Amino acid sequence: MMAIRELKVCLLGDTGVGKSSIVCRFVQDHFDHNISPTIGASFMTKTVPCGNELHKFLIWDTAGQERFHSLAPMYYRGSAAAVIVYDITKQDSFHTLKKWVKELKEHGPENIVMAIAGNKCDLSDIREVPMKDAKEYAESIGAIVVETSAKNAVNIEELFQGISQQIPPLDPHENSNNGAIKLGRQTSQTGRRCC
Amino acid sequence: MADNLPTEFDVVVVGTGLPESIIAAACARSGQRVLHVDSRNYYGGNWASFSFSGLLSWIKENQQKTDLSDECEDWRKLILEDEEAIPLSSKDKTIQHVEDFCFGDQDSAEGVEEAGALPKLPVFGAPAAQGETPGPGKESPAAEGIPLGSQPSPAAEGVEKENAAVESPGEEPQSCSEAARAAAGDGAGAAPGTGAAPSTAAGADSAPQPAKTDTAPSENAAQEPKKITYSQIVREGRRFNIDLVSKLLYSRGLLIDLLIKSNVSRYAEFKNATRVLAFREGKVEQVPCSRADVFNSRQLTMVEKRMLMKFLTFCLDYEQHPEEYQDHESSTFAEFLQTRKLTPSLQHFILHSIAMVAETESSTLEGLQATKKFLQCLGRYGNTPFLFPLYGQGEIPQCFCRLCAVFGGIYCLRHAVRCLVLDRASGRCKAIVDHFGQRISANYFIVEDSYLSESTCTNVCYRQISRAVLITDQSVLNTDSEQQVSILTVPPLEPGRAAVRAIELCSSTMTCMKDTYLVHLTCPSTKTAREDLEPVVQKLFSLNTEKETGNEELEKPRVLWAVYFNMRDSSGVEKSSYAGLPSNVYVCSGPDSALGNDCAVRQAETIFREMFPAEEFCPPPPNPEDIIYDEDEIEPEESGLNNSPETKPETSAEESSSEGGADVTKEE
Repeated sequence: MMAIRELKVCLLGDTGVGKSSIVCRFVQDHFDHNISPTIGASFMTKTVPCGNELHKFLIWDTAGQERFHSLAPMYYRGSAAAVIVYDITKQDSFHTLKKWVKELKEHGPENIVMAIAGNKCDLSDIREVPMKDAKEYAESIGAIVVETSAKNAVNIEELFQGISQQIPPLDPHENSNNGAIKLGRQTSQTGRRCC
Repeated sequence: MADNLPTEFDVVVVGTGLPESIIAAACARSGQRVLHVDSRNYYGGNWASFSFSGLLSWIKENQQKTDLSDECEDWRKLILEDEEAIPLSSKDKTIQHVEDFCFGDQDSAEGVEEAGALPKLPVFGAPAAQGETPGPGKESPAAEGIPLGSQPSPAAEGVEKENAAVESPGEEPQSCSEAARAAAGDGAGAAPGTGAAPSTAAGADSAPQPAKTDTAPSENAAQEPKKITYSQIVREGRRFNIDLVSKLLYSRGLLIDLLIKSNVSRYAEFKNATRVLAFREGKVEQVPCSRADVFNSRQLTMVEKRMLMKFLTFCLDYEQHPEEYQDHESSTFAEFLQTRKLTPSLQHFILHSIAMVAETESSTLEGLQATKKFLQCLGRYGNTPFLFPLYGQGEIPQCFCRLCAVFGGIYCLRHAVRCLVLDRASGRCKAIVDHFGQRISANYFIVEDSYLSESTCTNVCYRQISRAVLITDQSVLNTDSEQQVSILTVPPLEPGRAAVRAIELCSSTMTCMKDTYLVHLTCPSTKTAREDLEPVVQKLFSLNTEKETGNEELEKPRVLWAVYFNMRDSSGVEKSSYAGLPSNVYVCSGPDSALGNDCAVRQAETIFREMFPAEEFCPPPPNPEDIIYDEDEIEPEESGLNNSPETKPETSAEESSSEGGADVTKEE
């Protein structure tokens, strides 16, 4: 059986660029025009094969905390990758993308895989951000970049496949969870009770 | 602000400490519209944790006593005739007597000034400064892998290192501040010529070969701990998550129960505290607390092992044996222990390290209760009763805030509240006015104590907590494993003082850089934090860097950096002590001095129940399919994956997992 690796992925980008839609498309293969701002969902999961491993993405949504620039540092903890989303029809959202990258570098883990998604590419007739700009910027920060359409299911799978490929293979010598304890799960730890 | 904040809510919560965050989560979870604000630019208030540079900024902010702007009170115009305003405080006055020290600095004050001047994004600046400046090596000789360029180094490495360790008076401070500035990216423009000469002359890091600077000190790491310099601490500053409060989670305490029940636990990971330590006759020893520990202990005799096991077994169900302690109910626990067949060292272990109660004040029953609580928490997650959150205690409030946000709560940091608006007729608070002059109305208001003005708190009598945070170079008790999380109680060094609680964290807790330890000291204040805690620091650690003072000092861990401060303890204040607060305004206290978090959880639950007596407090989240998927297309089918033992338990634990459905759709 293939080993399952849990990979936390956090989503970044301005309100309304389609962060939740991208995840919805990826996880449920579903698109809703009137998606309500993510109520009640902490993270979504989807498992994809990658080489000899299965990558189980735990995709965290901002839960709206980005709206007034109040994302908590805990949001970034332990993320293997970040998907930073902008809207190709809104130049502003591309500008703020850089701020998100900066914040990610400040608070995020050092070796985090960065993927930039220029969403809403189905609306390329009202495009404001040239693909070339995004490519150049992504190159300058060592990020993957694709233009996506959550609505038409364009490049969504590819986006996450790209992330999967960038994740370094598990180092067998490295204890992946470093002895950290998750509460509320069935732990195999029996523990010795006094008396 | 790009987005407009709604102006009508059910509950407005001011302050993002632990109790406020739990209440916010509970309210949002029960369907209330919640606005949660904090005037600071970080979560947690006095429960926050900081990177090293973040802590330096915090220190600087709290050392500046000047109230910069006496607020213009424009908002008063917004108050109508049938209303009254209760102004809130614009300046946090809960932190006092902040003193920080960089050891190895002769003139510590100067070093602090330099380091404190760091901009908010030192971590960010570091790589930039190294990459962009023409001669980065000159400014930051300690920088990794950076050629030292034209700096000649006449002396041999080994000799120099000796010198640096033994005596570097006057020069190291410069080296510190230089490196700090360089690491902060601030040094990019600074004249490297002038700064470089003295800093490299300090010799600590000026190896003759490029790229050897960092590896050099590790060469004799076999014997001695790695020598970490201040500049390295600054450069690796983001590896630190330094808590303002020092607490642990009892593995069967209220906070753990709440985390699990509400499913907030999924947002955090924990480490077990690995050791309970005692300080007796000038030595640090490990306290055997579990059955296995007792039997494996080499320090206890066979007789002691039996005594201890017998006593602990009794404590686990002491209520069933009243005859054993009845006669001692009026005496202290310490006196009670003397009547039991226990050697002095066992009495010490039980009193100070297991029960952790005061020697002169705590009654027999308090001691027995505390001992029982300790024993009951053993074994749930490990060999000690305690857990510590990865990245620090400061994560926990943020986790509850996330739950609140997930259920629709709106978050605004850097959002100050000028006043509460009181409706004269009803006597109830009906709105707040924020720093934009925006009026936001709600039915209930939760305000953290530090936001209340002096006139509101004029009759309140606060206690204080003395805190110290040290960065040290080795553990107070070295064993084969470096990665230990230890709790140590130091009994009062003189009568009338309180015992000091020390928690030592290793780098795998993600709160400090490799090869360092983070030590938190806490006690209820009698004087300033430094006066209360420095005697203990001197007992446990070596503060000397200039001169070696005998072998004993050498064995002790060295303090590399330290900060002392007093924090207001607003726990246990009755609401009636606050003047003029309407009934629909609730006050949350800041952190208390206890080890656990029960006080905060209890307070949050009490306030929530007063507001919403009919609602459940933080119930488990509903089934994921109930919230997100109202489409019939996705049936939670069982795929092969879901049947695997690894994923099975988690599927139900996650709010929205669709691995089953999605995978099936994809594969078909």
